[in-house]
Amino acid sequence: MPALKDLADAWKLRPASYSRAVWTLVLVLDRLPWPLGEEGMSASFVARAFVRTERLRQALAWAGAQSETNGSRWRLALALCARHGRFVARSALVGVRNAETLRRLSALLGEEHLSAAAGGVIFLGFHLGPPGAYLVLRVAGHSVTWIGGRGATGAWPREIRRRYQTILESQFFPEEDRHVWVRRLHQARRLLETGESVFISADGEGEPAFAVPLAGGALSVGRGWWALRRATGAPVLPVLSHMRGRTQIATIHHALPPPVADPDLDLETCRQALGRLLADHLRRFPDHCYSLAFPATANGDRP
Amino acid sequence: MTSNPTVELVQTVVARIAGPHRTPADAGPDTPLTQGGFWLDSVHLLETIIACETEFGVVFDPVTDFNEQTLRTVRTLCDLIRSKRCG
Repeated sequence: MPALKDLADAWKLRPASYSRAVWTLVLVLDRLPWPLGEEGMSASFVARAFVRTERLRQALAWAGAQSETNGSRWRLALALCARHGRFVARSALVGVRNAETLRRLSALLGEEHLSAAAGGVIFLGFHLGPPGAYLVLRVAGHSVTWIGGRGATGAWPREIRRRYQTILESQFFPEEDRHVWVRRLHQARRLLETGESVFISADGEGEPAFAVPLAGGALSVGRGWWALRRATGAPVLPVLSHMRGRTQIATIHHALPPPVADPDLDLETCRQALGRLLADHLRRFPDHCYSLAFPATANGDRP
Repeated sequence: MTSNPTVELVQTVVARIAGPHRTPADAGPDTPLTQGGFWLDSVHLLETIIACETEFGVVFDPVTDFNEQTLRTVRTLCDLIRSKRCG
């Protein structure tokens, strides 16, 4: 059970994109033994869809655009809401008290693609499944620096933060710094050039490089990772996550084709390769793809 | 334009990365790099910084060197480059 001081500290570390209500629920449910908190969060997101009916309409519209809904648009829409709640809980490791539990709840596939790549690599993540794939990589023993914000890690147990969060990356958390992404990307480049690996989201903030058209909506892919690829020539390995029962499976996929000199051609090559990969992921795990159904608002609000 | 070769070179780098559609017609050393000036976003700024590191043989520290002041205009970026060369 987390101490009250930890709770007070965690309250101050609410991510800007999480409402106060959701963050309160995260911290309250975290006090329940595993997996009650995560189940509670999952159920609450389904219930919330009937209160915030805009969410339900979004989920139903998105489910209706999928070719294989097993005859039930409603079933897919509600499964999507339930997954979304589970992912929010998982981002904060609700109910997870120690590293051993975390190890049991995560698995990594596709490591052979990593061994084929020499030097530092760019792991490219997506908001199309359970969050924190970089944590799965670390739990599996891989050294990787997260290039991004604090997210919900303020609610992680102290033991897990100490073991799996680096001081280096926490220097680049403050969102109020207008140039924080310049600092993060510059640091990422420096790490890649010294043979270290980084993990960055493809569909995060910033100006898009291109959009990948998918059933139900297009995924906007940012330019940060692509700028790193161009600047360093580091291999880019897409990483997608899904749930098997209560276990988060992160899969490392084939590296994208190596960069070519013509930037327009390079962008198109990346767009096509990612398009194939993401379309397959969406077909296999439609109820995981919450970011397509619930696009982030202008102020970044999603949960 | 200005007679300071460092400022001129940095301005050329910034204008190249911003492209003609973002570069103001009256761009100068005190034109903001971001909003209301060259409209560089974080990726453009990264490209500018990498180009300056290559051009001037300096290495920036991402923890201490990039802030509102140093990334305000071409001139403030030049000041940062000068400080790194002296340091």
